[in-house]
Amino acid sequence: MRVLSILFLILGIILTAKAKINVVTTYPYIKSIVKEIAKDKVNISSLSDGKWDPHFVPERPSLAVKLRNADLLIINGAQLEIGWLPPLLKRANNRKILPGKAGFLDLSTLFELIQKPTTVSRAFGDVHPQGNPHFCLDPVKIPKMAEAIKEKLCILNPKNCSFYQENLKNFEKSWNKHLAKWNEKMKKLQGSSAFEYHRMFDYFFLRYKINVAGILEPFPGIPPTTSHLLELLKLAKSHKISFIAYAVYNPKDPVEFLSKKTGIKAFLLPHDVNSLPQVKDIYSLFDEIVRRLTE
Amino acid sequence: MQKFVIYIVLFIFGISYGQNYSTSSFTNPFAQNQFVPNISLIGDFSYVNRNIKDSTYKSLGISGFVHEIFHSHSGHEHAPINAERGFNFNYGELAITSTVDPYFDLVGIFHLTEHDFAIEELYFTTRSLPYNLQLKGGKFLSSIGRINQQHQHYWDFVDIPLVYKVLFGDEGLNEKGVQLTWIAPTSFYLLLGIEVLQGENELSFGYEVVEENGNTIFDKASKPNLYTAIVKSSYDIGNLTLLGGLSYLTGKARFNHLDDEEEPHAFGGDSNIYGIDLTVKYFLDAYRYISVQGEYFYRDLDGKVYKNSNFSNLNKKQGGFYIQTVYRFSQRWRTGFRYDLLNKNEINGQNKPDDLDRYSFMIEFTPSEFSRIRFQYNYDRSKFLEDERKKINEFIVEFNLVIGAHGAHAF
Ligand SMILES: [Zn+2]
Repeated sequence: MRVLSILFLILGIILTAKAKINVVTTYPYIKSIVKEIAKDKVNISSLSDGKWDPHFVPERPSLAVKLRNADLLIINGAQLEIGWLPPLLKRANNRKILPGKAGFLDLSTLFELIQKPTTVSRAFGDVHPQGNPHFCLDPVKIPKMAEAIKEKLCILNPKNCSFYQENLKNFEKSWNKHLAKWNEKMKKLQGSSAFEYHRMFDYFFLRYKINVAGILEPFPGIPPTTSHLLELLKLAKSHKISFIAYAVYNPKDPVEFLSKKTGIKAFLLPHDVNSLPQVKDIYSLFDEIVRRLTE
Repeated sequence: MQKFVIYIVLFIFGISYGQNYSTSSFTNPFAQNQFVPNISLIGDFSYVNRNIKDSTYKSLGISGFVHEIFHSHSGHEHAPINAERGFNFNYGELAITSTVDPYFDLVGIFHLTEHDFAIEELYFTTRSLPYNLQLKGGKFLSSIGRINQQHQHYWDFVDIPLVYKVLFGDEGLNEKGVQLTWIAPTSFYLLLGIEVLQGENELSFGYEVVEENGNTIFDKASKPNLYTAIVKSSYDIGNLTLLGGLSYLTGKARFNHLDDEEEPHAFGGDSNIYGIDLTVKYFLDAYRYISVQGEYFYRDLDGKVYKNSNFSNLNKKQGGFYIQTVYRFSQRWRTGFRYDLLNKNEINGQNKPDDLDRYSFMIEFTPSEFSRIRFQYNYDRSKFLEDERKKINEFIVEFNLVIGAHGAHAF
């Protein structure tokens, strides 16, 4: 009898441990959105840390462990993960989270992407053939992602669906309040021109009508060359460039060189949650971008 | 007559109308372009400078391990890469991979040399076995050790470590068979695997019957012949990743050198190999890292040698290791140092040379993630001509380029 009760206890522990579904996201920004919707009803972890290059997250076997235990995998998509996720997925042997299965969500399918190349050739570097995948930096797109995540959670975990629904409603309300604030602050940069290191902030700039006048990378994924920087220098002389934007993982030297030669301010902008210590969630990601650009 | 002409004109127009129609708005309902698998082609070329003549280099051996590094068995000579002084076309690697259906993926890796087409790997892996199990079957590189299942273009140095070369050959342990792996439900990475392989390695395993003038000298070993067990584990501490592995291989060995001109002989017996590997990688930032990686293999080869119509006992206890460090100091540059040593070389209780070593230095530039130029210098003290040690100074410039859809590599 005693043995039996212990067995039931163990079974109970296993079942309650199983009761919470495991959500794995490729990037911290997705984790933050899931957190807003699911709160503590699910276990969430992110494969990438905000400080890595999102195109090349370091390969670590521990990431396969996270995937192994996942009930739901949410990715950015549009081939942003192509350089690192496929072998991990293969290694994890988890059939629940493969593309096309219920436990898989690709956020890029929600949006029409910009800069979709008409011809694809590596003569132009490591191009994103499906268009620019860095759409998460458009604040207007965030609620739509939240809604898709809510729907997915409702399918996998129907008993908490109304809770998720409620959280989504609150999130949308609060997000729109923040959005109005950011829109207001960003007004003064409308029509200005900027350089950026990689086509990372294009969706944000497009939203706030900031013109991208030049990219420091001569081709996507290829670090700046001297001749290319000199071209940008020339461009900066004939056009009014308000600032240079770069991300935390971009090499600093070429940015500083260009900034020093032209006198244009360089802004280190967070590209993901956790890329800077003060960027703890999806709200502070945009708070910080706006603050750095407008202060 | 007029009617007839009109008919003809209509007929021609009808045809041409039909043709126009078919080229402009007819789409092939059976087109399968969407199902083209991922195809990539890798080219590997090198320039080699070596202080030893090619003819001498080809007859060098590694004392107690390999009697000729270019030795050809079963008719085909498989020259190692960078074999010639001057320019080398090392290989082309054609990779074709795709998902088969909801249940399988198929991977084909084809090795192209100047006059040869070889199937290096062609295997399936399962997609949806329960309990996080994965079955792999076909012809593939075994998952033993750290670098055995990596292709040459993914290695940190141009050439295979000495210990791999003497135990498994220039292409590592490449076998036909099946593999079952399982990732344990632990909080850290723990992979357990077993493999059942045909066991046709020309340096450590074999099953073929050995006959002389119609007499059986060593009988056929059962097929499949080689069994391996693998444990791999990994742990993270902040930006530091540790990855360790243990490998065990057991099988029969049959080597038939009875057709050799010098000292014809044959071997029949058992081969057991034990391996341990450890990799430590520290990420300084998104691109820069320092890694230290080492592997040790030990082989116990036990059986009988047949020579001049006589049998005698042969026991080889041999082992060696390499340890290397690689520093990626910017997005496009890496440099590294490797030390190779065969430190155990005991044959029938007697010590053969056990200071067979090699020092390698490399620096490489990757203009993009699809191309790489590597410079490597080797100082090699492992090769012998007869009983005389030949110290080799080697300088290699390697070009490696890839086009097409080549998947990212696993750790
Ligand atoms: Zn990008």
